[in-house]
Amino acid sequence: MKKSTYIYRSFERFWHWSQALLIFFLALTGFEMHGSFKIFGFENVVRWHNLAAWAFLVLIVFAVFWHFVTGEWKQYIPTTKFIKAQVDYYLTGIFRGAPHPTHKTVYNKFNPLQRLIYLGLKLLVIPVQVITGIIYMTYIYPNESLHVEGLGNIAILHTFGAFLLLAFVIAHVYLTTTGDTPASAIKAMITGWEEIDVDENEERLKNLHKAVDKSVAGYYRLGANGFIEDVNDAWLGMYKCSDRSKVIGQHYNITRDEADLSSFTNQLNQVMKGEILTGVTVRRKCMDGSFGYHILSANPVYTEGIISGVEGFIINIDQKEESREYLYNAVKDSGAGYYRLNSDGIIETVNDAWLKMYKYASVAEIAGKHFSITRPVTEIVKLEETFAKVIQGEIISGALAIRICKDGTTGKHILSANPVYEGNKIIGMEGFILDINEEFAL
Amino acid sequence: MHSTKKSGKSFLNQLILFIAIAIPWLIGAIYINKTKSAAKSDSITVVNFQRDKAPKADHSKYAVLQQDFKSPEGVTAACLSCHNYTAGDIMKTAHWNWDRDYVTETGDTIKLGKKNILNNFCIGIPSNEPRCTSCHIGYGWKNNQFDFKDENRVDCLICHDKTGTYKKFPSGAGYPVTEETVSDGVTYFPPDYQYIAANVGTPGKDNCGACHFTGGGGNNVKHGDIANEMKQVTREVDVHMGVDGANMDCVDCHKTHRHNISGNLYSIASTDTNRVSCSMCHTEIPHKNNILNVHSKKVACQTCHIPQFAKVSATKMSWDWSTAGQFKEDGSYKIVKDSMGNVTYHTMKGSFVWEKNVSPEYQWFNGRAKHYVIGDKIDTSEVVSLNGLEGRYADNRSKIVPVKVHLAKQIYDSENNYLINPHLFGKDSTAYWKNYDWKKAAQTGMDSVGLPFSGKYGFAETEMSWPVNHMVAPMSESLQCADCHGANSRIAALNDFYLIGRDRSKTLDYAGFALIVFSAFGVFVHAFMRILGKNKK
Repeated sequence: MKKSTYIYRSFERFWHWSQALLIFFLALTGFEMHGSFKIFGFENVVRWHNLAAWAFLVLIVFAVFWHFVTGEWKQYIPTTKFIKAQVDYYLTGIFRGAPHPTHKTVYNKFNPLQRLIYLGLKLLVIPVQVITGIIYMTYIYPNESLHVEGLGNIAILHTFGAFLLLAFVIAHVYLTTTGDTPASAIKAMITGWEEIDVDENEERLKNLHKAVDKSVAGYYRLGANGFIEDVNDAWLGMYKCSDRSKVIGQHYNITRDEADLSSFTNQLNQVMKGEILTGVTVRRKCMDGSFGYHILSANPVYTEGIISGVEGFIINIDQKEESREYLYNAVKDSGAGYYRLNSDGIIETVNDAWLKMYKYASVAEIAGKHFSITRPVTEIVKLEETFAKVIQGEIISGALAIRICKDGTTGKHILSANPVYEGNKIIGMEGFILDINEEFAL
Repeated sequence: MHSTKKSGKSFLNQLILFIAIAIPWLIGAIYINKTKSAAKSDSITVVNFQRDKAPKADHSKYAVLQQDFKSPEGVTAACLSCHNYTAGDIMKTAHWNWDRDYVTETGDTIKLGKKNILNNFCIGIPSNEPRCTSCHIGYGWKNNQFDFKDENRVDCLICHDKTGTYKKFPSGAGYPVTEETVSDGVTYFPPDYQYIAANVGTPGKDNCGACHFTGGGGNNVKHGDIANEMKQVTREVDVHMGVDGANMDCVDCHKTHRHNISGNLYSIASTDTNRVSCSMCHTEIPHKNNILNVHSKKVACQTCHIPQFAKVSATKMSWDWSTAGQFKEDGSYKIVKDSMGNVTYHTMKGSFVWEKNVSPEYQWFNGRAKHYVIGDKIDTSEVVSLNGLEGRYADNRSKIVPVKVHLAKQIYDSENNYLINPHLFGKDSTAYWKNYDWKKAAQTGMDSVGLPFSGKYGFAETEMSWPVNHMVAPMSESLQCADCHGANSRIAALNDFYLIGRDRSKTLDYAGFALIVFSAFGVFVHAFMRILGKNKK
């Protein structure tokens, strides 16, 4: 999926273009000093070259600072993965119109060749130019403290670096034309925005983690062998555990009663085969030996295309007496949709996530309508049955539902529903819905 | 509506980006322009320079000088009757002794100087004294028996005469004439000592120039950068001595303490002491542009500021003694002149090459010089250096200096392999200029220095290096960067270091060029194939 993404930040662009201009200017003046041509006169180019060198040094200091503060330096960590594919692409694939073997994302802006070349520039060529340049500026002559017997080698090294940079610039400028359109990469470096492939799995996981970290939903991740790799605070709360280290590294069987264990193992085995579980109600064994209920989702974790574990989130459903408040809190930040109906089945309120799933613009558009407006004809009966059960005091969790959106399109979600109490009297139904991405639909 | 808003904002962002990139360049350009105009200003820094031209005493008032002097020694006695320490001061100087301490390669300290050194002009003084010592600040040095302790023999007037009428006779061993005499078409009159003594004063260009402008037997023969015309030149020739320039006298720079005049000429001097330097007045950092100032660590001021010497009259660049002794058919001297009137052949002296507006050669120099000491063995397969300036790039005391190199072919003992001090001048039968017999001249000359002559002689190629210090040109004439930092570098011969602009690694340049061409070619082919691939589709 292509998406217009802000990929180069302001300073990055300022740095890039200033560096480009400086390298061009330094090469121009430097090669005139070298005697390769005569344009501005020796005295002028010496002064300009020295001034530009100082400017470059200042820019480098800022750039180094920026790279470390933003963590962008990680973009330059070299990798051999796909390097052959990238070379093959430039040597053959590109002529056949083959797709790029690697995809640009905000977190991975450079292909493996770029990583290698840019790192070489940053760690080798530019430092060599800077160091030899400083020696050339400082130790113009043999001097008591550092007796440099001539600057021949220094000068030759500096010239060699200049040739490398020049060759780099030629190749670099040319390779910018290998983007979607010849000008797209250059345009991106000017505006900061580029149409790039969005890694949906990466996006989804990122959003999931974000939602789960903030919400009261519990998050867990298991390794392929069933050992717990990560849980969040909400998970620990539900399991009545105050110390994460007591859980991490343990087998998942500590979270289940023996009676429940085999069905859980079966569920996990399905996920390890690539299935996705959305909203199964399960019984957990807390760390203090007590039991609780929650809805569990689980999906495979892929590492380099191979399933390497299971992750998912859990939402507590065991505290009936406080469920109303609890649910509200649970769904508030989770990205789940929340709704409340009165005892006549009229929609009282919904949250933003609900509106989004149903493609409504505001609560006013839907409040006061009967719930039947949210279902295709074939699904209305199912919801009526659910509503009837809940009004009688039942709790429904993890039901699969098909919705009809404002624009007539349909979508799938998992639905939970519970009664709304006022004192001991049931005055309505509320619950949450979790959207099921089409990609992962059962 | 929404998209226009967004593009408007992104245009603003790009404008800000452009401004952020442009501002440092703008600042740089302003800085460069500002410093450049300052560097081109005509102000020149001068420190510690004082000149006192007012006479310190009116010598016409002194009774002791109001007498009818019969001899120049009488004048000296009168001077010393008041300046009674001065002869003692004079006798410590090289101007009087014509020698200095010199440490030979074996570590021995010997007395070496004009007195006993060999040059490649008129070669040596021993046995030729009366002619050569006409430039000695004394009276009567006609052979090696001269009494250097006799105070009355000091010639005060040659330096202090301000009337311009006091002249030593060219072959008078330092004496002026006693009766009207003509030599080489010039008439010499006996001096009016009372008149001259009444008008003594601080030495001017005339006094110093009497000997130093005509060393080697004629105007501008030896130095190339000081000659008779220096008495009356414009600042285009010499900014310091030019009458429309600073109009300075020699002693304004060659400061003198108790008659010891500062300044060395390394045709005879050998140590880095008692030197005169530009920085005494101009400081070590005279330029506004600091890149020029740092050059002064390795480049003498003279190198850039004396782009040429011998700017008015020509100077002798080489002297071939081996062709001497040819007469016209009628037995008279054979004399050949070039278009400028310079003698290019003379029976007495051989062949010469003269040059005008000479670009100096350049050498490393640390203030010390080695000298050929009479009796040193020579290797005639190469040019024999009579005075080698010491220095090299890696030596922290060495600077590049401009040098006049004078070449010669001069007589040497081909059996003993050393240079010969020939007896050129004299009234006896062995003098070369009497009978033109090199063997006899060599025998007498070598006898006078106590060395054997084998009877066999040849002519060896020799060279002398004369650092050039005068004829400093106006700023506009100074050498420019590319004169050295360029393909036709003036200092091409100084190849013991890497000089940017002049030097390069050819291998690297070829490899670098190949890399660029290869990259460009690769890009071209790649792009071509891409276009081809696209069209196929």
